[in-house]
Amino acid sequence: MAAGRSTALLVTLAMLAATAAWAADDAVARATQLYEKRHYRDAARTLETALPSLDPARQATASLTLGIVYLGTAELHRELSQSATPMQLEYLKALAAIRGPGASRLASFYLGQTLLESGRPAEAIKVLERFAAEPGVEPGFRAQARAHLGLAHFVRKDVTTARALWNSLEARDPQTKATLAAVYSRAGITEPAPVALADAVLKDIGERPAALVRQKLIGVYARAGLTARALALVDQTDLKAPSSTEVLGPAKTINFYDPALLGELAVLYRQASRLALERAAADARVRGTAEYYLGAAFLEAGDVERALQATRAFLALPGAPPAYRNRALVREATARSLLARRADGGSAWAALARDTASDPDLLADMVAACVRHRLECAEIEPRAVRAAEAGERRKTAALNFALGTYHLRKGDLPRAVAYLESARDKAQKNRIEANDPVLLVNLAEAYYRTTQFSESLEIYFEMSQQFPVVRRLQEPLQGVYSMTHKSAGDVKIF
Amino acid sequence: MKTLPRIVPLILTLTVLTTIPAASPAASKNDGRPDGGTLAYGEYGRPATLDPITSNEMISLRITELVFNGLVGIDEKQAIVPELAERWEVSQDGRTYTFFLRKGVRWHPRDGEAPRLFTADDVLFTHNIMMHPKTITPLKVRYEFIEKVEKLDDSTVRFTLKRPILNALAKFSFKVIPAHGPANPQYLTREDPFVRNPIGTGPYIVKSISADREIVLMANEDYFKGRPHINKFLSKPFADQNIMTQAMMFNAIDMLVLVNPRDLPELQGDRRFVLQPYNALSYAFFGYNLRSPLLADKRVRRAFTHAVNRKEMLDAFFNGQGTIISGPFAPGSWAYNLDVQPLPYDPAKAVALLNEAGFTPGPDGVMQKGGKPLALSLKVPIEKESEAVKRVVLAFQNYLKAIGVSVKVEFKEWQAWKDAVFAEHDFDVILASWVFDDSADISSLFHSAEIGPWKNNFGGYSNPEVDGLIVESKLTLDHEKRRTINRKLHALLAEEAPYTFLWTLTNYSGYHKKLRRVAIHPYKFFSFADEWFIPAAEQK
Repeated sequence: MAAGRSTALLVTLAMLAATAAWAADDAVARATQLYEKRHYRDAARTLETALPSLDPARQATASLTLGIVYLGTAELHRELSQSATPMQLEYLKALAAIRGPGASRLASFYLGQTLLESGRPAEAIKVLERFAAEPGVEPGFRAQARAHLGLAHFVRKDVTTARALWNSLEARDPQTKATLAAVYSRAGITEPAPVALADAVLKDIGERPAALVRQKLIGVYARAGLTARALALVDQTDLKAPSSTEVLGPAKTINFYDPALLGELAVLYRQASRLALERAAADARVRGTAEYYLGAAFLEAGDVERALQATRAFLALPGAPPAYRNRALVREATARSLLARRADGGSAWAALARDTASDPDLLADMVAACVRHRLECAEIEPRAVRAAEAGERRKTAALNFALGTYHLRKGDLPRAVAYLESARDKAQKNRIEANDPVLLVNLAEAYYRTTQFSESLEIYFEMSQQFPVVRRLQEPLQGVYSMTHKSAGDVKIF
Repeated sequence: MKTLPRIVPLILTLTVLTTIPAASPAASKNDGRPDGGTLAYGEYGRPATLDPITSNEMISLRITELVFNGLVGIDEKQAIVPELAERWEVSQDGRTYTFFLRKGVRWHPRDGEAPRLFTADDVLFTHNIMMHPKTITPLKVRYEFIEKVEKLDDSTVRFTLKRPILNALAKFSFKVIPAHGPANPQYLTREDPFVRNPIGTGPYIVKSISADREIVLMANEDYFKGRPHINKFLSKPFADQNIMTQAMMFNAIDMLVLVNPRDLPELQGDRRFVLQPYNALSYAFFGYNLRSPLLADKRVRRAFTHAVNRKEMLDAFFNGQGTIISGPFAPGSWAYNLDVQPLPYDPAKAVALLNEAGFTPGPDGVMQKGGKPLALSLKVPIEKESEAVKRVVLAFQNYLKAIGVSVKVEFKEWQAWKDAVFAEHDFDVILASWVFDDSADISSLFHSAEIGPWKNNFGGYSNPEVDGLIVESKLTLDHEKRRTINRKLHALLAEEAPYTFLWTLTNYSGYHKKLRRVAIHPYKFFSFADEWFIPAAEQK
């Protein structure tokens, strides 16, 4: 959400930095337009392609823009990942519970992985052990299950069992090798080196699409700090392709998706954002702006000390517009709260809020910070509610968005829907060009949780035109919807 | 002389007891919310019939939701809940459903008559009349899975299914009509007075219908779930969406069932109103009459789809407020095949396909084959003649003209249009929209057994492969298999193009904030309307 209103800041602060060069630069202008339309991938591609040929002065502005684009992309993927897990779990659990002819075998395999992703390694171990022990499981899947099983033990600090499981595997096929590279990478193991394994696998598959393999390796390169290679791999990968398709007769096929990918993409884009912003910050002309966004990027990545440092560097900049200064102050207060491990972030920005009680954007930032960083919001929320009720809809859209997300995370779904709907531009209901994609993702999650599945699917359908990775929410949700709807089969003329 | 006055009241009392049960099950809801007030809502168009059997349009469906009940209902959380049946039992093999009916439920009284009790006979009657070959209804295909229905006693009925089916219980949400309702007790047609003056067991009673089809519904004081809070519902038909929105803006109505997409910004900017999504599972289409030799070849129909620029129409006439679709399901449905893309706008490809199908330009520029020009009639219901619809129709005419196809547009009055399309099949092309419930059941639209008068396969589409998939989809008890089959159906029907699938529009309902506790069923709309209320201070 922080990046959602960032274009205006980009313009303002670039002007502050006394360089209008970027405005005249076609690539940056084009990318900014694409970013405003939330066509993040196209914006990033435009800049990545143009960057090497730009002169140093323009490179700084282009890097700054690229950093902002990646920051928005990271936020979106983080929210997508958060939304996807519960619906994947619901779908896979229902599938795995089915017995008898036509029952899916791979459902348990993916359920185990999803449990692991959602921080439930003990349950993951049970499911994966059962799957790996089943007779008739294809050797490749059995080996991959054991690799994930090893990771689940590793997460539970049982390194010996993890090592024993991994050592017992003979990785011959690319899928198993890629899986091993991924789990080694996630466990922080350096011998065997995950990147070397990944390189070997990519050499093996050559030009083949091999969706599962490529998707698994994105995180390996990202964690190794090889951001450019990871981004290149993303470009070569069909993000809507399933990891596996299980064929259960002529009239039954089920697609399964790697549950780790969305989270890994969030990490990758966060990293790409930080790198681009650091490049920009090296240039004095845009340093202030870059520091502002670096603060956000570090905070997003959980690097609170550096977030504080960057934010303070921005605050030290003379002449920053007051609204953005205030937003930076909110970030500073958030970082200080997190550093102090205080439960109540409210008091940290109480003074700030007193002066700006009627500024809905600032209140929105505070509520959003509460939600994002799990800070106590008791002091801010009533004030935010009053401001949302009193203000004009257009001016309170960000605040309604923040309050909706706040209630969504609290589990108060009717209020979540009401606030998020208030924030939505209904005339462009599902259009990312008019509505922040993170707002739409949260609204889709709220509708999913209130069983209004068709509303969620409509949102995802429109988003998937620009973000193919959304397919991994669409398919499980279609599955849940198909299994749970209660209706008679009616159809009428409009 | 002294005894007579005592006897007469006693006789009267006994007489009344035979028709009205002694103990009323209904009362105020006692939920602390006020009763009273009127809710006037606007509909774009008029309902042809008001009963749940013969109707095949959404305006009627919404009325029937206020007037009738099913054996079961669906609550706000999409769970199945008791309605006219207070409980049920399902046999282990999933073939026998026994419903234990709520006792003491009374039918709405007709003027001058005492209300009668709802019994098992009414359930049997509804089933029998629904399945009668002469009954005009699109419901038969949905209930062909029922082998027999038996009355075990006055308040117990048993349905035996031909086979277990997915989601069977939900299908018993069909609305029950009274055995004493229709004039003809054998079958129901649109000529029966009951279809225009129905009685049910629901929260609202049809009180009157004015000459211009304004329908007044009064609260059923005797409703078995407790008297609904709002005294009166007024259904007001509008022939023009702009006027309907203005009526809302000027407080002449309190609710718009469907807001014209163009008016969304105005309503969203007004704090008096609440907007709530509705009818996500709908889409617009041009439907073709495949009985016409000119349209029997799928290359011709595909050519038409390539010829129309759907995005341009959506952007220009609906401000882009919708989503282009590729097949017979809405994008919000679980059945939509995400891998099938809409055919692109490509007039050159359209001409090539027509040439391939044997059409060549005639001297007047109109394509012809064997001396017969490719000239078609497009029939559009006049009540849907909104500015946007008119533009879509004219655009279609122009797009097709550009590839050498002549289209004559005919606007027809709503009932005449339905007669022409569903009864007489006298059309080449129509512009219409379907709305689906969550089942995404397209069997009545494309199965060849659904060709015939007043059936939904109005275009006469027949394809054994599609028939086979539809049947397989109905027979399976496996949700994932049904999904896979529907994906295949989507791909196949996109390829066959019995329709040019257009778009799903942005659909919101809008209502005044004075209406409280408003929950809207995503398809039936008024399912929870008995719980809605208006604070006393804001009641008109």
